[in-house]
Amino acid sequence: MSHVLAVLEQRDGSLRKVSHEVVTGARRLADALGGEVHALVLGAGAISGTDAAGRFGADKVITATNAGFAQYAPEGYARAAAERAKAGGYGAVVLAASAQGKDLAPRVAAKLGMPLAADVTDLAVEGGAVVVTRPVYAGKALLKVKVTAGPAVVSLRPNVFTPVERPKAGAAETVVVPGDGGRVVVKGIKAAAGGALDVAEAPIVVSGGRGLKEPANFKLLEELAQAFGGKAAVGASRAVVDAGWRPHGDQVGQTGKTVSPSLYVAVGISGAIQHLAGMRTAKVIVAINKDKDAPIFKVADYGIVGDLFEIVPKLTEEIRKLNG
Amino acid sequence: MKIAVCIKRVADSETRVKIAADGKSLDDAGVKFILNPYDEFAVEEALRRKEQAGAGEVVVIACGPQTSQETIRTALAMGADRGVLLEAASVPADGLAVARALAAELQGGGYDLILFGKVAIDDSNHQVGPMVAELLDLPCVTCAAHLDLAGGRGTAEREVEGGMEEVEFPLPAVITVDKGLNEPRYPALKGIMAAKKKPLEVKPAALGTAGLEIVAMTLPPERKEGRIVGEGAAAVPALLQLLREEAKVL
Amino acid sequence: MIPSQFQPALPLDRLILKESAEGAGDRMELDVLFVGAGPAGLAGAIELARLAKTDPGVGELNIGVLEKAESLGEHSLSGAAVNPRALRELFPNLKDADFPFRGPVTQEAVYLLTSGAQVRFPVTPPTMRNHGYFLASICEIVRWLGHKAEELGVNVFTGFPAAALLTDGNRVAGVRTQATGLGRDGQQLPSYQAPNDLTARVTALSEGTRGMLSQAWLEWQHVGSQNPQIFALGVKEIWETKRPLDRVIHTMGWPLPSDAFGGTFCYPLEPNLLALGVVVGLDYHDAGLDVHVLLQRLKQHPLFRQYLEGGEMVEWGAKTIPEGGYYALPARRSGDGVVLLGDAAGFVDVPSLKGIHYAIQSGIYAARAIFAALKAGDTSAARLAEYDRMVNDSYIVRDLYRTRNMRLAFKHGFTLGGMQAGLMTLTGGRFPGGRIAMHRDADVARHADGAEAFTPDGKLTFSKVDAVFKAGNATRDTIPTHLIVGKDVTPEAARFYTHLCPAGVYEEVDGKLRVNAPNCVDCKATDVLGPRWTPREGGSGPKYKRM
Repeated sequence: MSHVLAVLEQRDGSLRKVSHEVVTGARRLADALGGEVHALVLGAGAISGTDAAGRFGADKVITATNAGFAQYAPEGYARAAAERAKAGGYGAVVLAASAQGKDLAPRVAAKLGMPLAADVTDLAVEGGAVVVTRPVYAGKALLKVKVTAGPAVVSLRPNVFTPVERPKAGAAETVVVPGDGGRVVVKGIKAAAGGALDVAEAPIVVSGGRGLKEPANFKLLEELAQAFGGKAAVGASRAVVDAGWRPHGDQVGQTGKTVSPSLYVAVGISGAIQHLAGMRTAKVIVAINKDKDAPIFKVADYGIVGDLFEIVPKLTEEIRKLNG
Repeated sequence: MKIAVCIKRVADSETRVKIAADGKSLDDAGVKFILNPYDEFAVEEALRRKEQAGAGEVVVIACGPQTSQETIRTALAMGADRGVLLEAASVPADGLAVARALAAELQGGGYDLILFGKVAIDDSNHQVGPMVAELLDLPCVTCAAHLDLAGGRGTAEREVEGGMEEVEFPLPAVITVDKGLNEPRYPALKGIMAAKKKPLEVKPAALGTAGLEIVAMTLPPERKEGRIVGEGAAAVPALLQLLREEAKVL
Repeated sequence: MIPSQFQPALPLDRLILKESAEGAGDRMELDVLFVGAGPAGLAGAIELARLAKTDPGVGELNIGVLEKAESLGEHSLSGAAVNPRALRELFPNLKDADFPFRGPVTQEAVYLLTSGAQVRFPVTPPTMRNHGYFLASICEIVRWLGHKAEELGVNVFTGFPAAALLTDGNRVAGVRTQATGLGRDGQQLPSYQAPNDLTARVTALSEGTRGMLSQAWLEWQHVGSQNPQIFALGVKEIWETKRPLDRVIHTMGWPLPSDAFGGTFCYPLEPNLLALGVVVGLDYHDAGLDVHVLLQRLKQHPLFRQYLEGGEMVEWGAKTIPEGGYYALPARRSGDGVVLLGDAAGFVDVPSLKGIHYAIQSGIYAARAIFAALKAGDTSAARLAEYDRMVNDSYIVRDLYRTRNMRLAFKHGFTLGGMQAGLMTLTGGRFPGGRIAMHRDADVARHADGAEAFTPDGKLTFSKVDAVFKAGNATRDTIPTHLIVGKDVTPEAARFYTHLCPAGVYEEVDGKLRVNAPNCVDCKATDVLGPRWTPREGGSGPKYKRM
């Protein structure tokens, strides 16, 4: 029997949602190991939203404070998390493979002298050992890896572990971390520039192809992208980029960008292999095309057959309603 | 300015993945191997820093099989001064083992800056740089997309969800670099010629024991064939419901 | 329609530069430069490096090989059933098992196809026999040769296309490479790198089929041939199959029209990996003929379908082949400071479908002649003519002479040509006597477009866009166009180019020609019949792995 340490993430004094996923993953391991989940939050003071950790399965929520922890403090956080992990004799330490987690997890693992199974999409306990699945070669293969030295340090790919409510005590505990934040000091976070998101980075991509008939009609896609509230970028197929309708930077597929957003909406794109190669790792693909035999429907999770000039405005309207 | 750049030989991003007979690794028959693209940014950054400083040395270090010498030569052709190959039959899945080997080589090297690519595109481990920093007790910034160095201190910007994080740190430091930091140069003809004569030292990698064991490598399940939700604008509400409740992406 | 009406001239003003011409960045002096890292250039570099090591007469030689592909072998494509004799001569200490072959030819069959059936030839025609030969990927051979060359100290520069000959009087003094980092309108991007000038005492043009600088040199020096060089276009795919193929297959007849010369091949590379392709002479008459589509149709034939169904197409590529044979050989393949090797010189025997061993052999001879010239301190045309003498006295020219009229007999179509070729084989090339005169491919009239639309299914058959993707083509989309299109291209000619180009570079849109230049896989088909090809920045084009 051993407990699991879940290292949560906060920003500006509020727990980030990805922490729910971390608790859910930790709970899964703790159940298999027959132990408790202890959630660790690092901050300058009380963190709002930590009560949720109990709801998702944390037996204990430890808020570790330090005056230097208001912003992410790479060295201070790593020291505090590693010390806690050592002190608690945990069987596993779970973090998010978020921007912060990708920075923090290797430091914690190195301080513990333990391996890090990074960016995992599945985890389990087999014969007492933590076994994870992680994508390699840009998702073209999956690696099943057994952690043979413990505690196992594991970081979870965001948006994969759907939070499951497993109410536990979530007993709050506060400790003060001595020392300072470390040599590397985060001064702050500049909000993303107001400009359009890059298709390679955007969580949602709305892409258009020759089915849009003429460049001016890309306005429909720009409106749809806007309806998603700053989370969406507009992409394009090679054919329309070659035709000069859209800049090359927007191209998805061969010689263009490979994207893996959580949602990809292909509008008026038939789906040549080279385009599919650029977007098939998207989590969810929606296709809108008038040709029901278009290859794009073979890879799309959801398709609507019909006139995009009717469907897209309706979709924009509905998304706007949804986002208030 | 003395700069180390840790690089890796990786399968080209266009590689069509086939699983080897052992069921645990990539079948590398016909696979093209390249300098990890993020490491190219790191090499370029090192060369620019040295050029700006007007003096110094850029040392590239790789951990991997004999064939990694070609990868090191690529970096030498770009302009690095010398190379070190920490030879290992294969690169272990455990990033900490790799970090130990690199740290042993870097220790006491007197480097002002140790650069890495933010991630290797093959195993996407995303960890060796900061682990080396921990082992050497050096400050570390990961995923730097912007970097300013002056007077023994540096500032960097790294992308986080919804913005850019601004970070300050003292030198010497370990930096892992993101794309956007620079535009890597093509090796020039003269650089390629010169690279052949530059020193390249080969020694065994001190990996130690690895704590991760590969059980299996598999191909991801094929995407389920799509479902036609309906026809025309009337199908939009049904689509939204599926995106919200089934796919959970909205 | 006659294609030459719309074909621009070779831009000699851009291709032949004075050695002192401005515009280059770095300048590098070599002793000998091979232009093109194919079997000819690499074999030449290897032989030369070895001669320099064993005979201290000239001291250390600085030998360079320029290659436009990003990595070795990525622009090389062949069948290939290889005759090993030249490799054996190049590596006398190695055994056949040491060469990068996939395996010996064990069984072979030749079929005459109709759309739904096949008739097997009771015996394999003598010129098509491959016993004793080896199946191989030219990409793999080139990579292997490249490593051998580098081990001997040869400088192999990949990613540097040669864009012009540097000259001094009538002497070739080296080449200028293509600039990189230009924008769509020719403007310099931040990644711009100026061209480099490489000078050498001897420049060996081993550019391969339809070499641009080789053409320029022949035209500049007015070196002619008895017949014009003619070409075929081959389109090839590599398939992973569920069922193993146990023999080499060649076919004739369907799906080619009866007035076109050509055939198909299918070679096993591994138990579950095969190569298949269609080769068609570019003197075909139907303007709507489309070699890519012919290959797609071929795969639907029961003979091939049984192997391919349920398998996966893993690679696609295309390339032209010089087919003119003996009478199309340039009157000389050497000049002041220059020699022409391999496909660039036209050393291909069409009836036996062989060129690789001639390429390697020509490289060996070139190296020997160059070495003797360097030793004598004289790299003039008179000295380097020794290379021509060696080739003329060798099996290269003997083989090509024996089959001198065989391909040419097919200019009026398959049936008559087939009968004549049969007689030629029986008479050891003596029938019919004399030389069958040929037109340039571009001067052969094309009749009206009778193309039937073809709809690929995405499983067994593929569109050109999908095919180009499988060629690994990752050319930067924002490079300036590298294809020189003629003036006043008619809609008819535009449609002809659309069918001719296997890579979907040309499209006829509302009667106008649209050029999707980044699709280009450097096969050179339209350089023969239409728009001229020029090099793009290094690393552009296909990335063949096992072609």
